[in-house]
Amino acid sequence: MKRRSFLKRGLLSGAVAAGAAVSPLGLRQGFAGDDDVLEDILDDFEGPEIRLDIDDVKLELIDGKRVFMWAFGLHDDAPTIPGPVLRLEQGKTYLFEIRNRSTSRHSFTIPGMVSPDGLAVHVELEGKDDSDNSRKSILVLAKDCGAFLYQDALNAPIGRVMGLHGFCVVEPKENITVGNGNIPYPTSVAPQAVTSLFETLGLEGSVFPGNGWKAKSDREREWIFNSVDPRWCDRFEQGQVVSAGEATDFKPRYFTLNGNSGYDAAHDHDCVPTGTIGQPLILRTANAGLAWHSPHIHGNHVYEFSRRSAKGELRLHDNIREIDTWTMPPGEIAELLLPFKMPPDIPLSKRPPNAQEKFPYSFPMHCHNEISQTSGGGSYPMGLVTDWVITGPYKG
Amino acid sequence: MTDIIISHPAHDPAAFDEFGCHVYAASPSTPDKLTPTKRFFRQVSSWNVTMADGKSVPFWGFKDPNVSGSDSPWPSKIIRVNVGDIVHCNMKPSKGTHTIHWHGIEPTPMNDGVGHTSFEVKSEYTYQWQASTAGTYFYHCHKNTVLHFEMGMYGILIVDPKSKTKKLYDPEEGDKLGDATIPARYPAYDAEGIWCFDDVDPRWHLYDHDAGICGEDIGMDRFEPKYFLCSGVPSNKTLTDSRTLVKAKAGSPVLLRIVNASYSELRITFPKDVLVAEEDGRVFRTNPLRGNFSKPFWTRTLNLSTAQRYSVFLDAPAAGRSCDVKTEFLHWCDYNRVQGTVTTRVLGT
Repeated sequence: MKRRSFLKRGLLSGAVAAGAAVSPLGLRQGFAGDDDVLEDILDDFEGPEIRLDIDDVKLELIDGKRVFMWAFGLHDDAPTIPGPVLRLEQGKTYLFEIRNRSTSRHSFTIPGMVSPDGLAVHVELEGKDDSDNSRKSILVLAKDCGAFLYQDALNAPIGRVMGLHGFCVVEPKENITVGNGNIPYPTSVAPQAVTSLFETLGLEGSVFPGNGWKAKSDREREWIFNSVDPRWCDRFEQGQVVSAGEATDFKPRYFTLNGNSGYDAAHDHDCVPTGTIGQPLILRTANAGLAWHSPHIHGNHVYEFSRRSAKGELRLHDNIREIDTWTMPPGEIAELLLPFKMPPDIPLSKRPPNAQEKFPYSFPMHCHNEISQTSGGGSYPMGLVTDWVITGPYKG
Repeated sequence: MTDIIISHPAHDPAAFDEFGCHVYAASPSTPDKLTPTKRFFRQVSSWNVTMADGKSVPFWGFKDPNVSGSDSPWPSKIIRVNVGDIVHCNMKPSKGTHTIHWHGIEPTPMNDGVGHTSFEVKSEYTYQWQASTAGTYFYHCHKNTVLHFEMGMYGILIVDPKSKTKKLYDPEEGDKLGDATIPARYPAYDAEGIWCFDDVDPRWHLYDHDAGICGEDIGMDRFEPKYFLCSGVPSNKTLTDSRTLVKAKAGSPVLLRIVNASYSELRITFPKDVLVAEEDGRVFRTNPLRGNFSKPFWTRTLNLSTAQRYSVFLDAPAAGRSCDVKTEFLHWCDYNRVQGTVTTRVLGT
């Protein structure tokens, strides 16, 4: 199939599925049968495209058990749980093309993001057996900066928990400089507290000696927490459905961070924040599962500067808490700054380089609701845990 | 149904084994050892705790081997130091291997008490750190933590300010006044309450120390608490027991240190607004030298997930009147399910 006909089929089937108001660009709402309007839009659109597939998969867990789940993947790439991190640039419009190759119906939603005409980003896709309706396209405007969780919301929250979720990060068009570094939000929208936090980084005499935060570098990590109830996996594999009303009967036995658990997460570059003293890093953490998590980090306190609710509403904090433990309700996103400070309780006279205990310093981050530190009913600490590593002193 | 497998790279069997099942155990000398200004001793011990229905449940904890009877209180004996103290704690596991993690304190990995990033203590180790920041912390075993924490292997740790007065913290140069900081009447307190909430699933309290860590399914994914306590006091006695009842002269400042040591989400409701002054060992304050991004706030409700701590200030009620605080234990997967409730009290005198 040529790209053009692929798009057309997706767009038209969106109109059939939604059957709602006419909208020139909000493709979920369809075109009320006006093919000319559709053609015009396709002809005119020259922006970037993101093509995602949805697949039935088997996820291998830390103890070797394999469970049925669903996964996003970039078109023609292997699917992953979570799906790939999508990095968008503020102000641009993106064409998302979603193809459902799973046998089940799904949707594609990004709570908090909108189409160019300001409508919610949401398309519904039939299973692969109904190929006419298993492909949809939608335009997404990267209007606001921040972290979003794209997901399947058709049978919310079941699809998200069953693997269909991933981070979408909208970055400022150009790096915004404050103090000695950058800030991930425009200063026009960031409260004074957030601006002050990033301004203080790297200031001589402040509590953050070293560098400012560097955007578009290795100074960020995305962590998605999830939990697996194999009973649900088995039911979907057998063609049954777990309804949203059964969410209160969720009994997770496996707990993951970016799809990894325990040893795997602590040995994965994308999970493990690494750097020297004075290289602050942003942690974007989301909870795709249904358990309430309580991540606790050793070695440094972190500074929580934003929350996005499960519905997609963003709150940039006007009072920033310096904490070692934060609450992660299902569906929420929290952004935190990991300052990479010298751990403050090392005796002042025994800090490197004049110390017997040398770098690197490895510290864990784990959920302190310790039940989620297990897998398969035991095997501590093979659950929601990873490490972070201070590799050496500040190097300037 | 599908032949797409999301697999993980093969593990190094030895490294995998050491990460969880057979963690490196040792009894090293303390690196970079200094002369301590505060010294503590802890030894792993076990005892029984009486629940609200009169049943006795086995618990583990840390006793001070130099103090007779120090294994009777649970949670384990409070450790209290001042900012600037060089702290030593000599720990003897006595039963298998254990560790002490100083939750919220940030020392080197060797002194952080986490097996997979350092070692588990075989026979003896002296932890060392220097208290940097006044606030509320706790210490707990970090071996097979899911079980050992539930079994009660923890105690409260408080870092008092240098001034050694009854004060949450010493104001620093540059602290802003007014709404941006804690009112002048508050950093000091007349009465202090330490409320550490916990829930107990008695099924878990019948296991051995190493249960579950080498792959066996002992049901650690299922936690169904039957008992709810505050600072070791069962829920039916928290209004009167001296460990939880806070008595304070009418109108005087009261500091409540609140810790969630349960595996539930806590929803705490106060009868009137309280001033939240500290979280996780860090005071809310505005100070240009620290960054103008933090300030105390008033609230009537607090939510704490596991291991979070808050300190709040309130004025003691009039003589003979009480301020009753309701704490609900919400299920960690079914947030709308209240599993238990504990009520604690500040009584005006």
